[in-house]
Formats: sequence, C-alpha cells, structure tokens
Amino acid sequence: MSMDVPKSNLSTRLIDSGNPQAGYWWTIIGCAITTSIATPLSQYLDLVNIVMLFLLTVLLIAARFSRGPAILAAFLSVALFDFFFVPPRFTFAVNDAQYLVTFAVMLAVALVTGQLTTGLRRQAQLSKIKEQQTRDLYEMATTLAGTINTEQVAEVLQRFLLTGFNLDVVLLLADDTEQLQPALASDLHPKIDSRFALIAYEQGQVIEDSILSGNGYGAGYFPLQAPMKIRGVIVFIPTQTLSTLHEHHALLATLASLVAIVIERLHYVAIAHNTQLEMASERLRSSILSALSHDLRTPLTALAGLAESIPLTSPTLPAATIESAVAIHEQALRLNNLLENLLDMARLHAGRVTLRKEWQLLEEVIGSSIKLLEHSLQQHTLQINLEKNLPLLEYDAVLLERVFCNLLENAAKYAPANTAITINAAAKTDYVEIFITDQGPGFQLDQQHEPLEMFTRGTHESSIPGVGLGLAICQAIIQAHHGSISISNQPAGGAIVSFTLPRGNPPTIEEENDYLEGADAK
Amino acid sequence: MTIDEPHVVVVEDEKQIRRFVRTALEAEGCQVYEAETGKQGLVEAGTRKPDLIILDLGLPDLDGVDFIHDFRSWSTVPVLVLSARSSENDKIGALDAGADDYLTKPFGVGELLARVRVLLRRRNSATENTSIIQFGNNQIDLAKRIVTHNNVPVHLTQIEYRLLTLLVTNTSKVLTHRHVLREVWGPAFVESNHYLRIYISHLRQKLEDNPTQPQHFLTETGVGYRFQL
Repeated sequence: MSMDVPKSNLSTRLIDSGNPQAGYWWTIIGCAITTSIATPLSQYLDLVNIVMLFLLTVLLIAARFSRGPAILAAFLSVALFDFFFVPPRFTFAVNDAQYLVTFAVMLAVALVTGQLTTGLRRQAQLSKIKEQQTRDLYEMATTLAGTINTEQVAEVLQRFLLTGFNLDVVLLLADDTEQLQPALASDLHPKIDSRFALIAYEQGQVIEDSILSGNGYGAGYFPLQAPMKIRGVIVFIPTQTLSTLHEHHALLATLASLVAIVIERLHYVAIAHNTQLEMASERLRSSILSALSHDLRTPLTALAGLAESIPLTSPTLPAATIESAVAIHEQALRLNNLLENLLDMARLHAGRVTLRKEWQLLEEVIGSSIKLLEHSLQQHTLQINLEKNLPLLEYDAVLLERVFCNLLENAAKYAPANTAITINAAAKTDYVEIFITDQGPGFQLDQQHEPLEMFTRGTHESSIPGVGLGLAICQAIIQAHHGSISISNQPAGGAIVSFTLPRGNPPTIEEENDYLEGADAK
Repeated sequence: MTIDEPHVVVVEDEKQIRRFVRTALEAEGCQVYEAETGKQGLVEAGTRKPDLIILDLGLPDLDGVDFIHDFRSWSTVPVLVLSARSSENDKIGALDAGADDYLTKPFGVGELLARVRVLLRRRNSATENTSIIQFGNNQIDLAKRIVTHNNVPVHLTQIEYRLLTLLVTNTSKVLTHRHVLREVWGPAFVESNHYLRIYISHLRQKLEDNPTQPQHFLTETGVGYRFQL
C-alpha cells in the first residue's frame, strides 16, 4: 500500500496502478544498473558527475513510482556511491570528511526531487480523476434528462455511482400518501434504515448514519429537494470505505438536487399525460353517448312519427288499423322515455357531469316542468306553495327540469286520479328545501327496496311502466349540485320527496325606478 | 292543388322521417319538397319559393348552422329546426344564426303541425301593422305605450316595457337569452342572464293569471323564452 492517506478509493487505485512491490525491485535494479554503468566511467569522470548519474536515477524512479521507492532510491544511491566510488573504494569508510557534505547534499536533493516529482504526478492524476468524474456526472445528467420514468432514473444512478464512486444507491420516492417507496420494486437494500429515510424526508436534512449504525460502512440519506416540494430521499451506501461519503459530500448533494429536479419533471410529465388520457377518454365517452343517442333517436322519431301519421292518410283507414297505429305510437314513446333515462344515467355516471349553472328563480324551472308534463298531470290538481322572495339559485336548468319532471311524473303515475300533488319550497340559512308530496301509496321503505338505487322498484309497481331509474337520476343530478335528496312517507299516506339546493352568493340586481310615463303611475 | 297552398322545403337525410313529415304536412294542405342533403336543400330553397324551411341539424354534408347563415343572407323565410341532439348549445347556435323555432327529436306530428301553423301564420300576418295587441286578459297599446291587465293599467318600468315589446313583436318565436339581453339591455349585458330571469318574473307577476304556470311568457329551458298569444 502507498504511504499516502488515500483521498478516495478511485484515486488510490489509480496511483498504485503497478504492483507496489515491483517499484522497490525496480529501484534496486535501477540503482544497480547505474552503479555498473558508472563503474567503468569513473576513470574518466569526476566524482561530481557520478553523483549526477545517481540523482538522475532517483529522479526517474520518483517520476515512475511512488514516494516509497523514491526514498529508497535516495538512500540506496548514497550508499552505493559511498561504497563503490568514494575512496577508499569498496568500503563505507570515507577518507575525506568533505564527502560527508556531498552525501548530505546528495541525500537531500534526492529526497526533495522524489517528493516533488511524486507530488506533481499525484496532482496530475487527481485532476485526471476529477475530469473523469465531471465527465461521468455530465454524462449522467444528460442520461437523466432523457429518462422517461423513475425506474430508469434509479437504474442510471446505480450504473454510474457503482462504477465511478463505489456507491450503492437507492431511490426512495414519496407516494400519494407521503410514504417512501423504492423506485425499483426489487430495490430494498438491507443497510437502509427507513427511520433515517423518513427523518431526512420530513426535515429536509442530510442524515448520515456512519457512527450510529456501526455496522461497517453506514449510509447517507439525502432529501430530494425539488422546487415545489421534497420528492423523496436518495440513499448512498458505500461498498468499500465509509470515507467516500465525506469526500464526495458536496458532489452527492449536487447530485441529489439534480435527481430531485428530474423526479419533479417526471412527476409533472406523468400528470400532463394522465390529464391528456382523461380528456381523451372523456371526449370518447361523450362522443359515443351522443352518437348512440343520435342513432337510437333517429329510428324512434321515424317510428313514432310514421305511426302517428297513419291516421292522417286518406282515404280513412279502418278503426282497428288506426287503433294499432296509436298503440305503436304510444309504445315508441315509451321506448323513447326508457332510452332517455338510460342515456341520462349513462351520462351522469360516466364521470364528471358538466353543469351549465346559471343564477335563476326556482319558479321558472317548476313552471317549465309543469308545462312539459301538461298532458300527464291532467288528472291531478297541482298546489304550488313557494315561499315569498325565494333567493336566486344557481342550477343547471335542463337537469333540474329533469328532476322535477321525474318526480312529478312519478307522483302522477302512482297517486290516484283527482288527488293533489303539492310542491313546497322554503329558504333556510344555507339552502333552499323543496318538497314534492302526493297522496298515493307512498314508498316501500325497507332494506330490500332502496328507491334511490338504480333499477329498484316497489313490488306493487309491476303494472306501471318504468325501470326504476327516475329517482336514481334525480339523486345524481341533485348531488352534482351539492344538494341532498331524501324520501319518506306522510303519516296519512303518500310519498314525500325532499331535496335541497345550496344558496351560495347570488349576484345583485340593480333596482330600476325608471317607470313608463304613459302608464298610470301610482 | 290551389295557388295559395304554402310551400314547405324539408331538408332531412333520414328517409322515413321525411316521409312522415311529408304525410303530416300534406294532410295540412302544404306542398312539400324534399331534400336529402344541405346543398340540395339550398338549391330547393332557392328555386321553390318556399314559405317555410324545415331543417335537420344533423346533416351529413353541411352543418345546420352554416345552412342557416347561408340561407339568411338572402331570405327571411321562417326556418324550423329539427335537432336530434339533446345539447342546448346546438339549438342556441341555430336560433342565433336566424332559425325561428326548433323541435327536439323525437317529436310528435301534433307538435310539428302546431309549430308549422304558427310559423306560416306569422309569415302571412307580418304585414299587418296593428298597434294594439291582445293576449289573455291583457292589452298592449304600442302607440300609446299603455299596458292593461283586466282593464286596469299596469305599472311597468322602461326595461320591463322594452322586454315586453320585444317578446310580443316576436310572438311564437324562440328568443335566446343572449338575443334578448343584447336587444333590451345592450351588448355589455349578454352574460347577465339573471337580469333577464328577474324581469321575466316581473312580467309574469304583473301579466299572468298564475305566474308559476305561465301561459304567455314561456320558458324554453336552457335556450331562452317564447311569447305566446
């Protein structure tokens, strides 16, 4: 091993690229060769120049190998020079004391040269490593920028950090419930302590459990601090020595924020993608529904219209034929009602109902519903008791008209002829409550029959046409308006359906006092 | 065939619907011309000198609204729109483009004939210029600007009167909310639907016998209003 305290695993490995033992052997061989070359030359050369040859050897060894061989070379050179060249030769004894100065200077020069050379070489190697790391990081950042899911991010990180830094890396991402989940399902490292990960995530601080765990290398927990929020935790686990974490702390912190931004980008990409999918499926659904409603309604219109126009043809047809035509017409209309209900239910259940809400008066929708049902309500008397000065309510007129039509039609269907159907409305602090009551048999209220559910019908209803969608549609519409609907029976018999609509903040109307001149003013 | 029987052009791609519409209209004494496509319909409308156009909005070759725009550029003949779509926006689009009335499929023959009669009658009476209009127990004297209910003068504001005259001069025609707001309140108010609701309610309170079940100021839900004598 080298005598340096290694700056990093990577750098150590590069400096000791040869076998450390070989350096010493090469030092000995180098010094021996220098001695054998210098021996024949000593007749022609001054001792000073022999010294130069030895210094050159030390320089070369220092340049090629690390500091250890350089020091050895320095001492060995001095010893060999003394033994072979300084008179008396072949002894370590020295006649002239001034050679001691030569030895000292020679040793000093050799040591300093060795030191400087190895230092320089180390610097060069370090900057090469730094450069390599920078290139690795840049490459990783480029790769990360191109990732399309978090699994890929985790894989890229693992590949780069394991080869470049001897670090295992685990990406823990926060899910919708703020729980940390590994990005790769298989990726649960035994050395990860979920408590540390959670602390790092919740406090947004780097946690290193080197001292705490004591089980070897420990791990570093870096929060993924993205611009919007903390997206999770990245855990670095050294595979060799713990020091790696400290040395690269700044670099790993940078890496963590880079990963955080990548994760956030992926998060928004996913949201955008989902929104697009949802919009596409919503569009598909509504286009299927409108195509279906068009395709089903067109033949029904033709069927009902043709049947209805049979009696108009001349010459006049037999009464029985006309009766059949009228029956066909009625059946076609019944079929149409069923179809309307089914399509409405499909539309209301297909997802978000888009309401065309407007501020309007309740009496308006009640009036238009009654007008629509004029025919079916002929046999009943209607009593409408609306509280004076009901506020403007924000509702979708078409849908609320459907609610009133369904409820009034139900009442007309079940209550005996010549009884009263009542509509009451009263304003409360937060909502307006509407009651529709009839004098029919009332609801069958037991566990088997939940009238607000789809396709539920009372047992006594089998003779009356319908499939049991009317109330379910009302419920869906009222709920879409943030109101509630409930059913009950009057003590004296008869059904009560009550529902509420929130009052909200109606817009103000400027009073107008500009009366017509021609009219007889009060 | 008599010379004054009304001419009606039916533009509808569905053969069976055309057939029963023709049967019904002929029973009513109309001369019916059929067109299967929008382009053919425009040609028929241009050559037959019709008194009424019945137009399906779901034509395969031409958008109904485009048809109306095109037709309205050279004719004021009433247009009755047939719409298979439940979407109110299509009806509003057609009415704003210049259609006079609409029917949602499936519609009954009775309904169809009632609308046709009204539109044809209006065409004939368009030239009559009476200044006194009578409906229910009400009388409006447009010249003197006096409105009476059961022979008692009714106290109306300027806007109420403007709204009333707009409605009565467009008897039986469906007017969209936007149209009424623009005509009565001005272009800045086209989104202020609640004004219109409140003022219609005022008119009903003052002129209808039973304001909750109006007989004259009718609501066309999600679309607009229609005044009926």
